[in-house]
Parts: sequence; structure tokens; C-alpha cells
Amino acid sequence: MGDNAPMSEGLHEIEDQSPEALYAFLAEREWGDGLPVVAPTEERVSAMLAGLDPDEVLAVLPPRGGSATRRAVAVNAVMAGCPPEVFPVVATAVRALGQQRLNLRGVNATTHPVSPLVIVHGDAVDEMGFNAEVGAFGPGNRANATVGRAVRLVLLHVAGARPGPGDAATQGQPSKYAYCTAENQAASPWEPYHHSVGVDAPSAVTVHCGENPHNFHDMESDDIERILDKAASAMATFGVNNACISGGEWFIGLCPEHAATADRAGWGRDDVAAYLFEHARRPAWEFREQFDLLAWAPWMREAADDDLLPMTEEVGNIRVFVTGGAGKHSCVIPSWGMTRSITLPVEG
Amino acid sequence: MTTSIHDPAGPLAEGAVQLAPAAPALVGGRIGVLDNGKPNARLLLLTAAEGLAARIGGEVVKVTGKGAPGNNAATACESQVLESLSKEVRIVLTGSAD
Repeated sequence: MGDNAPMSEGLHEIEDQSPEALYAFLAEREWGDGLPVVAPTEERVSAMLAGLDPDEVLAVLPPRGGSATRRAVAVNAVMAGCPPEVFPVVATAVRALGQQRLNLRGVNATTHPVSPLVIVHGDAVDEMGFNAEVGAFGPGNRANATVGRAVRLVLLHVAGARPGPGDAATQGQPSKYAYCTAENQAASPWEPYHHSVGVDAPSAVTVHCGENPHNFHDMESDDIERILDKAASAMATFGVNNACISGGEWFIGLCPEHAATADRAGWGRDDVAAYLFEHARRPAWEFREQFDLLAWAPWMREAADDDLLPMTEEVGNIRVFVTGGAGKHSCVIPSWGMTRSITLPVEG
Repeated sequence: MTTSIHDPAGPLAEGAVQLAPAAPALVGGRIGVLDNGKPNARLLLLTAAEGLAARIGGEVVKVTGKGAPGNNAATACESQVLESLSKEVRIVLTGSAD
């Protein structure tokens, strides 16, 4: 490798583009996610930028206080293997990460396992080749895999969220490699998620900082309440931060078949959320027995011991979208707690 | 054949926070405790602060939370709390983890 000192501001010279040379370059600087990367050459980064202003700052990301310029984000998108056409989704997700309500400083500083989940909505899903169907959270699709990975590389490099000094998660979690899915609008009985939260755009991105998906399955029921009772049981656990931080959100990723069962019963996504708010509950005394510190809403503090308390302080914190393909598996995605999801229209 | 590649970290934002310079001497310092909201943080930090005060001939003059609702570990400290600390003490102990 020899000397890898920067040639000029923002550029480095390496001996070649082999995986070995790139590994060595990254290791020398404690960069990378441990997987092979694509060399961010000037030609590739230029193609990713597609003529847009490379110096525009999309966000400032803690703890490092790095400027996520469009160029820096494009460099990481190249390294992750993104095709240029998905770059607007990466850029939009980074804009979301910079919003104060998302509390990225806390997300990176906490010992809790929390990763920004990128959910793609609208026309971008098909136009950019995202997988919203079978295996939507899983491997095998370039757009999902590389967008999720690009966001993580931005966190590692620009935000400085390296495990240890910049990311204190005790065990981490697999979704810290890549965490991106898409809303299956074609199989959803409801309006697009982003419209439901007031983002009136053809395409949008939601970033929700949460745990890995917690699966629940129901292969048998035609009764939506019986299905959602499984979701409620997956939510009403003391092992999640939502148990002691009442302001946290829950994302509910319904598979199309469960969503269809809800629709046949005449339920909208608000009805699903309301049911879970009422049924994912435990007695107040159990919370009090389990935790010394409860970051609860004032009305929850006043509850009698036998009152059943929800897993979040208001029904609006339960957010429902449809993703996945055939089969009867859905998921709940707990929050870290002190963070709010952000939904933005897709912009380059 | 050598190749030029872009730096993935990018620039630091203007005004990025820098660590304060280390105090040249602690002797006789006025000590504060900023409870960051983690379980037992106040007990741990106050105990350490009292031990430090005994060693350097200083005094623990202020013990405070972050002032945010719930004083949660994940929320930022209110600026007036930081301003008050900066005026009243020379050394602050904070930042207990899990």
C-alpha cells in the first residue's frame, strides 16, 4: 500500500482497486463495515452525484460532527455498491438522520441496539428497483441491500459511529450492517404510509430508529383481532426500551395477507393501531416492579397499580405499513425510545 | 496502477465541538456533579467527587441533573444548566454509563 496520505483535500491514492488494497486502506483508518467495498473513484462518485452540487450539506451528523455533504454521501453510496439511480433515497435518508427530533446523537451513544431503518414509499419502490415483496427485509435485492449499507457507512464514516468510541451498543445487532425495506403499496389496502403522515409526494423515505424486527405469525385466523393479539403479545414485553420510555414509537410491518384480513373486516390502519394500543398492555404494578426509572407520560404516572397501561403513551405512536409477500408473518419494530421517526419526500 | 479515491469521512462541520483543554492543576478546585440520568449515576459520581475533593483539597459545591424532562440519559442537558455549571465550578464529573 505504501503511503496513503491524502493527495489533495478529500482524495487518497491507493495502489490498485483490489479488495485487499481497499481493505488495507480502510483498516489503516479504522473505517469500513468489515465487508468488501467498491472503490470510490472520481468517475464513480461523479456518476453518483449526477451533476448535483457536491458541496451541499445534507446534514451534520453526531457524534463526530461530520458534514454529510452530497459528495461524502455519494462516496459512501459508491462504497456500498449503490447504483446511481437509488442515490436520491440515500440522500433523503441522510437528511432525515440530521433532523433534531431523530436524536442521532442519542441513537449512536446508547448501549441499546438501535439502527436507523429506511422504509421506501411510493413510486421510487418500483422505479428504483426496491423489493417490497417476499424477503423485503432480507438479502438478494441490490437496492435494499446497498441503500441500507450506504446509510450505515455514512454513519460509520461521516458521523463517526464506530463501535466503541462512536457507537456504544452493547451487542450491536445485524441490522447495523444494512436496514432497508419498502412499502408494498400494490398489496396494501390503505393509502401510502407517507400520505397518512402528511407527506404528499410521489415518493418518500421514512427513517425509524429501532430494534431488529420482532416476528409474529398467525397462519390460521380469519379474525383480525386474533391476529393482532399476537402482535400485542410481541409488543407487551419488558425487554424493549418502549417498556420504560413511554414516548417511543412502534412500527408494525403487516404482511399483505394480514393486512387483507384487516381490510375485509373493514379496518383501516388507524383501527389496527387503536387495537394494539388497547391490547398491548400490562398492569402498572408490573412496570413498577420491573423498573426503577420510568420515563412515563404524566398520566401514566398517576395510574393505579392494577390499571392496564399501554406500551406507548399515545395511539399515534403506533405506525402501520404493509411490507413483504406471500405468507402470514408480520413484525413489530420497537423503537429505541428517545427518537422520533422522520418521513421526507425523496429528493436528491 | 495507482488509483485516486475519495475520502468517505468528509469534512467536519464548522463549529464542531472540541474538547476543552485539560486543567493545569486541580488543587483547591470547586467541583460539580452533573447527573446524566443513568441508574445510580448520582451516587457514583457524588462518591467520586467527594473522594476527589478530599484528595485535592477541593469542595463539591453543586450537584444537578440535566434539567430536561425526566432527566433522561438520552436527552441533551439544558443550556442554562451548563451555563450555571460553567460559572460555579471548575471541575464537573458526569457521564456514568450502564
